[in-house]
Amino acid sequence: MRSKQKVLLLTAGLIGSMILLFGYASPPNTPTLPAEEESLQTGLEAFDKMMAVLTHKRCVNCHPSGDRPRQGEDSHLHNFGVERGPDNHGVAALRCESCHQAENNNFSGVPGAPEWSLAPLKMAWEGLSRIEIARSMLNPANNGGRNLEETVKHLTEHELVLWAWNPGVDSEGNPREKPPVPKDEYIKAVKEWAAAGAPIPEE
Amino acid sequence: MMKISFTINKKPTTVEVDGNTPLLWVVRDVLDLKGTKFGCGKAACGACTLHVDGEAIRSCSYAVKFVEGKEVTTIEGLGNADNLHPVQQAWIEEIVPQCGYCQIGFMMATAAMLEKIPQPTDEDIDNNIVNICRCGTHYRMRKAIHRAAEIKNQSPQNQTS
Amino acid sequence: MSKDKKKKSFSRRKFLVRSAVGVGVLFGAGYLSKPLWQRALAGLANTLEPPYSGTGITPPLWFEVRADNQIILYSPKVEMGQGTFTGLAQIAADELEVTTDQIKVVHAPSDSGNVDALSTGGSLSIATLWTPLRELAATMREMLKLEGAKLLATTPDKVEVANASISSNGKSLTYGEIAAQVSGWEIPDTPELKPPTERKEVGKGVPRVDLREKVLGAPIFGMDATMPDMLYGAVVRPDRIGATFKGADVSKAENMPGVVKIVQEPDFVGVIAQSRMEAENAKNAIQAEWETDRNWTSAEIKEMIKVGEGSPTTIQKKGRASRILNNEEDVISAEFESPIGAHAQLEPNGSVASVEGNQATLMISTQVVKITREEVAKRLGFKPEQVNIIPTYLGGGFGRRLHTPNAVQAAVLSKAVGKPVKCFFNRKEEFQNDTFRPPTHHIMKAKLTEAGKIKAIEHNLSSGDVMFGSPMFPAVAQSLLGADVGAWRGGMIQYGAIPNYKAVSWRVKLPFATSWWRSLGLLANTFAIETFIDELALKAGKDPVQFRLEHIQDDERGFRLKEVIKAASEKAGYKDEVVNGRAMGFACSTDANTPCAQVVEVSMENDRIKVHKVTCVIDPGMAVNPDQVRAQCEGAIIMGLSAAMYEKMEVVDGKLAPTIYGPYQMALMRDTPKDIDVVILENAEDPGPVGEPPLGPIGAAIANAAFRLTGERLRKMPFEG
Repeated sequence: MRSKQKVLLLTAGLIGSMILLFGYASPPNTPTLPAEEESLQTGLEAFDKMMAVLTHKRCVNCHPSGDRPRQGEDSHLHNFGVERGPDNHGVAALRCESCHQAENNNFSGVPGAPEWSLAPLKMAWEGLSRIEIARSMLNPANNGGRNLEETVKHLTEHELVLWAWNPGVDSEGNPREKPPVPKDEYIKAVKEWAAAGAPIPEE
Repeated sequence: MMKISFTINKKPTTVEVDGNTPLLWVVRDVLDLKGTKFGCGKAACGACTLHVDGEAIRSCSYAVKFVEGKEVTTIEGLGNADNLHPVQQAWIEEIVPQCGYCQIGFMMATAAMLEKIPQPTDEDIDNNIVNICRCGTHYRMRKAIHRAAEIKNQSPQNQTS
Repeated sequence: MSKDKKKKSFSRRKFLVRSAVGVGVLFGAGYLSKPLWQRALAGLANTLEPPYSGTGITPPLWFEVRADNQIILYSPKVEMGQGTFTGLAQIAADELEVTTDQIKVVHAPSDSGNVDALSTGGSLSIATLWTPLRELAATMREMLKLEGAKLLATTPDKVEVANASISSNGKSLTYGEIAAQVSGWEIPDTPELKPPTERKEVGKGVPRVDLREKVLGAPIFGMDATMPDMLYGAVVRPDRIGATFKGADVSKAENMPGVVKIVQEPDFVGVIAQSRMEAENAKNAIQAEWETDRNWTSAEIKEMIKVGEGSPTTIQKKGRASRILNNEEDVISAEFESPIGAHAQLEPNGSVASVEGNQATLMISTQVVKITREEVAKRLGFKPEQVNIIPTYLGGGFGRRLHTPNAVQAAVLSKAVGKPVKCFFNRKEEFQNDTFRPPTHHIMKAKLTEAGKIKAIEHNLSSGDVMFGSPMFPAVAQSLLGADVGAWRGGMIQYGAIPNYKAVSWRVKLPFATSWWRSLGLLANTFAIETFIDELALKAGKDPVQFRLEHIQDDERGFRLKEVIKAASEKAGYKDEVVNGRAMGFACSTDANTPCAQVVEVSMENDRIKVHKVTCVIDPGMAVNPDQVRAQCEGAIIMGLSAAMYEKMEVVDGKLAPTIYGPYQMALMRDTPKDIDVVILENAEDPGPVGEPPLGPIGAAIANAAFRLTGERLRKMPFEG
């Protein structure tokens, strides 16, 4: 994505130059090239916040690189040999829905949200760095053909994603750990990141 | 409290309970169908397995409000003394149960599997049937599952002309 | 009912004499030198099959013949999957001259007058009832002949018995028709029992009598019980080990939906509500105060269970094993460990209790009808006869229900609210309040002769209690026996031709409940001994099967053990080498006179042991139902495999954990062998124990096989934990 950053900077630079060249009457505090840099900085900070959430076990547990989901604070392999199955929803008599419903179940401690299932293998995050995850997320070949706007919508509105902030209680009745960034801040960060052109830092 | 209407073993029914009550207790205590068992209440043992719209569901972790308009099948509806389901026939042939408490859940999971996988391999059985049995009837259960598949596939409605 | 005391007392006397023998031995021992008698008692307990004892001493207390000719057998033993009901039906059927399916076995409520004096357990139901039940059934048949003859205006010697009917001169009456006309039974002398050649039902693999009910989902378990107008109870139970109840703040629970009443007793607090969920929710809102003096950890428990800690009792001694092993060179030694084991049976504990006026009725899954009745009676201030215990089919026993004090709490709740109350543990409570299989520590030592035979061998075992603390045995037994009979079960050296051997049991009382878990110490003790024997065989350069045979004594026990060893080795084609990535392991044990040998075939898959096949040869003396003997072997093998390979409880922050299946890892379908081959030998006349003996060899057999693949000895259960 280095080239994309360069393109962005270049574009910003071009626009800025054209404004100056054609004498566009800019109000005293209209952003110019240094402001683009500030926007980039905001975008990268937003990126950090967003990735702090997306690399949390609450998310990665269901974005495995193999055919087994993980569970728990220690991300152990899901008990009972539960498997991905042909459609990411489990196998014939052991579907995700056999136990996981559209809501958390406080009696059993089984978490739930609409469409509870594994992320497809193309969206595997387990073992990937933040950078790799972000690149994968922005790649239509991996993300189900989504453009940036659609990706942002998924990240900020999909109930299964937002479940991370309502993870319910475990089988002992203890509340599950939430991601390190509050939900509103996360949503703001995703949008900020996108508005800044979805910048991804160097490794 | 809310009213929830669904069919249970092909019979329409309406219950009035707290919508978050696990379906297991509605089936056992409100509808007095004791075949489906309570083993753990945490969706870990599978003793509470029944079918909702044909899918194997662990009813201890399924709020009754979600069953509105759906078809629930319990062991009492899977088969009965005059009309045994192939799984029940096979379980009898192989003399599977010991204490018997977990067996219903295993049979319901097996029945659900056979609808989608008519000729399960041993690996299919390993991956699909993960309930807990303390008496250790697994050896006979595996044989019974293969036998049930055989019986099911031989039955008139499964024969192609 | 007309009584002829002289005739009736024949059967009664036999039962009383058998019971007296058992009691007399215990008292006699008290007068003599303790250590000597402790060893003698230990030896006796190792071989003795206790007599049957209970209140049902006349046939009418066991058999009811209905007008439709079905015979009801009231069993004082409970059915928990071990197949006892089926075996009892077969045994009775032969003497009654009917087929097994004409007999319906039901649990005898305590009100019926047929109450077992002790419990269902110890693999003893068939073994101890074998002769008494045949006598009862044969006597019942004679009673029917007697009454039938009267009705047919002839004498008993002139009637024919066939098809559950008595006939004479072309006239016939069914058992049912006869029974319907009897107002008072005359009980004759017990007749001769049928010889083995005349047995038609016993010895056959008759399908279980409870098969259809269990496959159709009939409401037969304690958890399924209901009574009219029943409410639901929940009792607050402690999380932490050693917690004492100090009181509770119930203010948040009192007004919750469905709550009928909150009951506060000095020793517990409980809630009664309209439904189970409402009771549970209200219970969770109760703030109970528990006092604990410390927060135990697994490490502390492990420190306690160490050979050398606790009080030792020598349970077996021949020759000078200690002297040899402490003073001579080239002593081989090894240590072994096993963890805390949970019962994890699928049906939680609980009951439905109804206390009305001066009567109490309970429906409950229990292995101890008499003790439960007494405990409930005591708490209510009743006489035992005012309490009727109706046992139900158990969703698993395994020793978990050899004490069911939950009945007391259910009864108290019912009394408080004046209605029947159904009160059950949830799964977390079931795990935390289990009476666990105690953890163990073993030190094995031995020395070989130049010729590669065992010169001396010693087994030191440290274990938490099994028998001690159980309400089944009086406290006096503790001081008499010294060592816990349950803990050292399987801990004696079974190779009687070894010139010097010794077994010492170190007793440790743990801060949480430990007690009977199917086969008691057998699994862990056999793991230690039989792994060690395998090591010795290899050190001696001998085939492990041959090595064992060389050390077995020439007597009846020895003969039977040798036969199962040879048969297992032959049937499995035992090879002491790795073939195609698979290895075999051998182990054997003798439990309560029943020898069992197993050969296990394993491979390693991704560094994990995979068990492919188990060959099991068992000699239960005689098999009443060979199919059910096989089923018990299959089940015990899988239960033992599960415990040996996966299961363990820990103590974390003062609490027993885990409290859910999954984290408490057990064998799933994928972990069980695809092939279990059981061979039954019958080298004695009478049926002996079956339910527990096959649990012995499995751990050691797996470990011995795994060693051949990895070169590493497994010394701790669970192997994959």
